[in-house]
Amino acid sequence: MQSSAQHADAAVAREIARLIAREVNDQRLKALLESPGSFDQPLWSLAVEQGWPGLALPEAVGGVGLGWRELADVVQVLGHATVSLPLIQATVIGRLLLQANNTGDFSACARRLAAGEAQVCIALMADGDAGLPAQPALVLDGGKLYGTASSAPFANSAQFALVQARHKGGTVLALATLDDSVRRVTDNLIDNARAAAQLQFEASDARLIEGAQALADVLAISAVMTAFEQIGGASACLELAKNYAMEHKAFGQPIGAFQAIKHKMADIYTAIEIAKGCALEALAEIETGTLSIEAAAAARISANRAYDLAAQEAIQVHGGMGIIWEGFLHHHYRRARSLALELGSTAYWRNVLIEKLLAGAAS
Amino acid sequence: MNAELDQYRQACRAWLAQNAAACLVQDGMSTDEEIALARQWQALKADAGYAAITLPTEYGGGGQSELHKIVFSEEEMRFRLPRQYFIISLSNALPTFLHYAQSEALKRELGPRAIRGEQLWCQMFSEPGAGSDLAAVRTKAEKDGDDWVLNGQKLWTSWAQIADWGVILTRTDPTVPKHKGLSYFFVNMKTPGIEVRPLKRFTGDQDLNEVFFDDVRIPDSQRLGDVNGGFMVAIHTLMMERYAVSSVNAPLDDIIELAKHATVGGQPAIWDSGIRETITDTFIEQQGLRNIHRRAVQALSEGGSPGPEGAIRKLLMGESLLRAGKLAMDLQGPQGLRADSDSRFARSWLNAPVLRIAGGTDEVLKNTVAERILGLPQEMRPDKGKAFNELL
Repeated sequence: MQSSAQHADAAVAREIARLIAREVNDQRLKALLESPGSFDQPLWSLAVEQGWPGLALPEAVGGVGLGWRELADVVQVLGHATVSLPLIQATVIGRLLLQANNTGDFSACARRLAAGEAQVCIALMADGDAGLPAQPALVLDGGKLYGTASSAPFANSAQFALVQARHKGGTVLALATLDDSVRRVTDNLIDNARAAAQLQFEASDARLIEGAQALADVLAISAVMTAFEQIGGASACLELAKNYAMEHKAFGQPIGAFQAIKHKMADIYTAIEIAKGCALEALAEIETGTLSIEAAAAARISANRAYDLAAQEAIQVHGGMGIIWEGFLHHHYRRARSLALELGSTAYWRNVLIEKLLAGAAS
Repeated sequence: MNAELDQYRQACRAWLAQNAAACLVQDGMSTDEEIALARQWQALKADAGYAAITLPTEYGGGGQSELHKIVFSEEEMRFRLPRQYFIISLSNALPTFLHYAQSEALKRELGPRAIRGEQLWCQMFSEPGAGSDLAAVRTKAEKDGDDWVLNGQKLWTSWAQIADWGVILTRTDPTVPKHKGLSYFFVNMKTPGIEVRPLKRFTGDQDLNEVFFDDVRIPDSQRLGDVNGGFMVAIHTLMMERYAVSSVNAPLDDIIELAKHATVGGQPAIWDSGIRETITDTFIEQQGLRNIHRRAVQALSEGGSPGPEGAIRKLLMGESLLRAGKLAMDLQGPQGLRADSDSRFARSWLNAPVLRIAGGTDEVLKNTVAERILGLPQEMRPDKGKAFNELL
C-alpha cells in the first residue's frame, strides 16, 4: 500500500525532473539572475499546461488531488535545479482559502490558483526584522490595504498576496489583490530569479482571512515544504562537489582522496541527512494533521543550515572554479541564502522552537 | 509496523515489567557487583529467549530477526539495566566463533554458556600500532606442528580481565601485503603465557586492558577461517551487528529544566542566545536521528539494508554529548564541577571523548562515509601492495 503510493509520487517527481532538464539550461538560469524581479515565464506556462500548480490541491477546485508528500518530492526537484516556481505558495494558500471561515469567493480564487491562472505570494516579512514582525507594516481599513510590504518572492509575478495587517486594533491575515493600484518595486537582489518585489499598497483591495491559527499554520507548512526545496538544492551541491573532487587532481591524486575534502563532504552529508530526517518527521505530522511548531522549526533550521553549508563548502571544494559566473555553484549559494531568509531566519525559528520547548517542559 | 512485531513488543514490555526490577543497577555499586548483576540478567533473559535474540536456538540463542533484537533493545533501554558487559561478547566475538568454529560439539557447549552469561568472550584486535589501521597487527602466530604459538601484545581489550574466552587477530605471514597475512583464532584466556594488565580510564572505569602473549600455544582446531584469511573474519566480526541500538542521548528535557532556573548576569539563562542555540541544535539532531532510525527499521523490515544511520549517529553522538554536557555544567555553576556518581552531566562530559574514539574514531568514520556512501577514492597509501615486513 505504502510502497505503491511512494512509487506513484516518485513518478510525478521524476517526470517533472525530466521536463525541467529538457526545458531549463544554465544560460537561461543565468539570464534570470541578471535582472531584478525575473520570473521564468516560459517554464511557468509549461508548469500550468502540465497541471503542477494544482498538484496538491483538491479535485473539487480543479486540482490533481495529490498530497503534501508528492508536493515535497516535486519541490525537491525544483530546488535541485534551482528553479523558482510558486508551487508551495499556491498549495499552502489555496488550501488555506478553502479552509477559511469565510470561504465565499475564496474558492474562486483557489480555483484560479489550482489552474495556474493566478499566482499568489507570501509577503509577511519586514525589513530590519529577522523573522515574522510582531507589528505588521500594513493597515487594512474598510477592505482597503495601505502601506509597503518588504520584498517577497513572486510578488513581481503574482496576482494575489498573503499579507499581515493591522486591523481594528489587532493583527489580521488578509489576501490582497495585486491589481494596477499596487506598485511593485523590484530591487537588485543576490538572487534575482525569485520574481521578488516590494508591494506598495494605496487603498488596494484586500479581504480578511479569518481563523486564529491561520498564520502559524501557513508559516509552519511553508517552512516544511521549503525545507524539501532546500534539501534538493543541498543534495545538488553535494553531487557537484563529489563529481569535481573525483575528477580534479592535485599532487598526483583526485582531491577527493584527501581527508580534508572527504571530511568536509561527510559533514555536508550528515547535515543533509539530519535535515532530511527532520523534514520527514514534520511531513508525517502534516499528513496526519498534527504538525507541531517544534517539528516545523526543526525542519526549517536544519534545512537552512544544510543548504547554506552545502553551497558554501561545495564552492570551497571547487576552488577557483567555484567562484566564476560560468560555474553553477553560485546559483545554489544565492538560492540557499534567499530561502534561508524568505520565511524568517534561523534566529527567528530558534526562538520559536525554544519557546515551544520551554512551554512543553513547563507542562 | 507489522502486527507480529507489535505483539512481540507487547510481550517484551510485559516480560520486562515483570523481570527488570530484579536486576536494576543502583548508585554506588562496584564494578564486581554490576558484573554479577549482569550475569544474573543474562541468565534471566536466556530463559525467556531474549539473551542473544539473533543467534541460533541450537546454541542457546533466540533464533529471531534483527528487528526483534531492535525492538527488545528499545524496550530494555527504558530500564537502568547492566547492558554493557556482554555486548562485545554476544554481538561480536561469540557470533564469529559460532559462524567459523570447526567443532559442532564445542559450539553447542560454549554457545549457551556465553549466552547465559556464565562465560564472557573478549575481542583482541587493537594493538599499540594497530588501531584505526587494523590490518597492521603484529602479534605473531607461528605454526609448530599441529599448534600455533602466539607472541605479542593487544591493547584496549574490553573485559579481558574477566573473560573466559577471546577471539584474536594475529599475523601469520609477514611476507605478503598486510591484510593478506592475518589469521584469526579463539583462545581460552586462562591458557599459560597470557597476561592481562588492566588499564584505568580517566573516568575511573576499569573495563580496558592490555593483553600480553608469551609463547602461548593453541591447537590448530582453534583457528577460525582460513590460514591468512583472518582479515575477512575480522570484517565479519565488525559487521556482525549491522544495526546497534544506542541509548546514548543528551538528556534534553533536563537541560531545558536547568536553563529555566539558572541565571546569567541576573537574567534567566534561557534568554541567552548561545544557550538557545545549543539546546535547539541538540533537539534538531535528536529529531533527525529519530526519523533516520525509523526509516532504518522500516528498511530492515522490508528486507533491505539499514543505511547510513549507524555512521551518522556515531559521528554526532560524541560531539553532541560534549556540547550538552558542557552547557549543563555551565548552567549549574560551581556545583557543575562535582564528579560524584550522581553528577550525571559532569560524568557524561568526562565520558564523551571515548565516544569520539572507541569503535572507530570520528576521522575514520568520516572517511568511511565519504568512501562507502559518497564513493570518493581512497587516499594514496604508501603501504599499498607492499609486504608487511617491508613496512617495519
